[in-house]
Amino acid sequence: MNAVPVNYYIILSAILFTIGALGVLIRRNALVIFMSIELMLNAANLALVAFSSANAQLDGQIFVFFIMTVAAAEVAVGLALIVAVFRTKKSIDVDQINVLKG
Amino acid sequence: MTVFIILALVAIITALGMLISRNAVYSALFLVLNFATVAVFYLLLGAPFIAITQVTVYAGAIMVLFLFVIMLLGTDELEDTDNLTWQRPLAIGLAVVLVVEGIYLMLSQNTLGFITTPSEDLGSPQAIGDMLFSKYLLPFEATSILLLVAMVGAIVLTVKNKKGEQS
Amino acid sequence: MFDTTMIMAILPEILMLILGLLVLVFDLIWKKRDGRDLGWLTAGGLLFILIVTAAIARPAESTLVFGGMIRYDMMSYVFKLLFIFGSMMTSFFMMDIEQLGKRGEAYILLLVATIGMSLMASSADLIMLYLAIETTSIPMYVLAGFMRDDEKSTEAGFKYLLFGAMSSTIMLYGFSLIFGFTGTTALTAITDFTLPLAVGIIFLMMVGIAFKISLAPLHFWAPDVYEGAPTPITGYLSTASKAAGFAVLLRLFLGLFPETSPYAPTWTMIMAVLATITMTLGNAVALSQTNIKRMLAYSSIAHAGYALVGVVSLSELGVGSVTFYLIAYVMTNLAAFGVIAAFSRVAGSDEISDYAGMSRRNPTLALVALVAFLSLTGMPPFGGFVAKVFVFAAAVKADMIWLAVIGVLNSIIGVYYYLTVLKVIYLHRMEGENEEAHPIPITRPYAIALTVLSFAILAIGIVFGPWFNIASSVAEGLF
Repeated sequence: MNAVPVNYYIILSAILFTIGALGVLIRRNALVIFMSIELMLNAANLALVAFSSANAQLDGQIFVFFIMTVAAAEVAVGLALIVAVFRTKKSIDVDQINVLKG
Repeated sequence: MTVFIILALVAIITALGMLISRNAVYSALFLVLNFATVAVFYLLLGAPFIAITQVTVYAGAIMVLFLFVIMLLGTDELEDTDNLTWQRPLAIGLAVVLVVEGIYLMLSQNTLGFITTPSEDLGSPQAIGDMLFSKYLLPFEATSILLLVAMVGAIVLTVKNKKGEQS
Repeated sequence: MFDTTMIMAILPEILMLILGLLVLVFDLIWKKRDGRDLGWLTAGGLLFILIVTAAIARPAESTLVFGGMIRYDMMSYVFKLLFIFGSMMTSFFMMDIEQLGKRGEAYILLLVATIGMSLMASSADLIMLYLAIETTSIPMYVLAGFMRDDEKSTEAGFKYLLFGAMSSTIMLYGFSLIFGFTGTTALTAITDFTLPLAVGIIFLMMVGIAFKISLAPLHFWAPDVYEGAPTPITGYLSTASKAAGFAVLLRLFLGLFPETSPYAPTWTMIMAVLATITMTLGNAVALSQTNIKRMLAYSSIAHAGYALVGVVSLSELGVGSVTFYLIAYVMTNLAAFGVIAAFSRVAGSDEISDYAGMSRRNPTLALVALVAFLSLTGMPPFGGFVAKVFVFAAAVKADMIWLAVIGVLNSIIGVYYYLTVLKVIYLHRMEGENEEAHPIPITRPYAIALTVLSFAILAIGIVFGPWFNIASSVAEGLF
């Protein structure tokens, strides 16, 4: 396997992170926004694993393992909340979810 | 290197696909592909255990849950409206920060070194298990509480009351 | 491998977990009961934990335990006691709220959130810190959206989740860069304070923390969530949760970029600007609110700004004053939200105009409101006054007189809207009604909690010496 600079991995993860952030900011569908957050988490994970290999430190991989656990818990609660919102409003368009004036 | 570039392109294209798709089901499927690609990266980086966890947890559990909710609510198609006010400056700001970071990393070529063939036992399940149950015992216990409470929370928010809660 | 220090370090967490499981089991097996059993169990259990922790878990010196995951020092000790106290008061307020107080799940969510906060205040490792933040946030998302038939509550929970998940992900990206450049996740092991990309890392972490403590410009979620969430939960969110955010702020920034770091002036400057914007914006917008929960939301944004003034001065006095400020603020704001919860439970409204004639409808409750609001204003002899004095004194001592001046000017704006509420309570009358015919009965849990809080506010304001010594001992451990 040829050598790949760690920088490339980090740049890739930054690109994925930005795409995720853009998704959060420009999409209106609550589910897609939530997916974008997952993409951002994934970008952070990729950076951590790359750093972990570069530093020959396992801590990064352990961190990723914990992040995945948290992501699973967050998704379970988040989707439950989206279902609850849909029950009361019959919509998951974040522009419709604005009884509370910001 | 070639492998990296091809995979990186796949990852970026699938991420963009998720961003652009009008249909939430397509978004979810693009995201599954993206997660699978990232799992391959983990293999390349010498983290087989994390790669397998990635596939089972993300692609297997989280995205299935997403698809399930999309189907349940029947809201796969949703027209995007165009009233973005404060989001746009924030998006631009964030993008600028990350671009700057990217440029910095480009310029500071190889301060972080290369990833060649990673050593076999760095990311092995055994090594990870050893660390989880010694140094990271307390966080591990914390995740068990977290998962319990997530379960309780999801049930509270979705399951119908049997007793009717007449109080 | 295990010794008493390790047990002592996580004693409150262990006890709270046991209590939570007891509540859960009790909820299942004990069918014939009146509504408040679970609430009393939680509150009583927390009182027991508070006393036990205060009595035997006081650390003699700062030590790292569990493989460097958490720190066992005065700071974690003091903040844990504060969180346990706040959680106890919240469980008193929750007991008589419909759909909330009789559900065992609500109490276990509250307890787990408190466990998370305790771990946040003692984390010495990025992995532990991230997990602790999420262990706090996830139950809070559910609690905010707990009233699932109420449109506002589910919306509040949903918004909180969306912004919370987003901001902790951004902070996580900052953590990943720290790990990448230092090769370690232990905050104590990082001794090279000249990280590459330090400004970027500061920015990413600041986003996460600014969200948690609702600093402008990342405060926009707070009024919506505070208004929609059940009132006792709002009280908890705006006090304990915010104090936990400050604990993380102190740990992270004093750990990664201490005085000796070349980046210390950068981040303190950014925070000074944020504090200015936060105070001014919070107070200015609070002026025009008609809903009391929204008004208090903006007021709590402003208070985060005042407390930040103490952090900016980056000194022992500064950190001590922040801790003192948080103690006083937690007591005061809990009392304010307790009054609102007790009132809206009967009157069914959170509009300020509906508070007219409250002094006649329930003079005692009005008196508690008076104490709480005057303390928020920063009037002597209440806790809020002394707290503000310490924070501004720290700023002056750190040669940031302009910041102290802005703080004082803002406090004056604050006087206006707090006194408006008191004016409505005491001077306005219900139109064409006899107030005595519409009494506001307060139930026993509210009576107990509000009495305790009122005395605490007075105690902090009058006998502030011992409290400030405790707060200073927190600061000594960090420098």
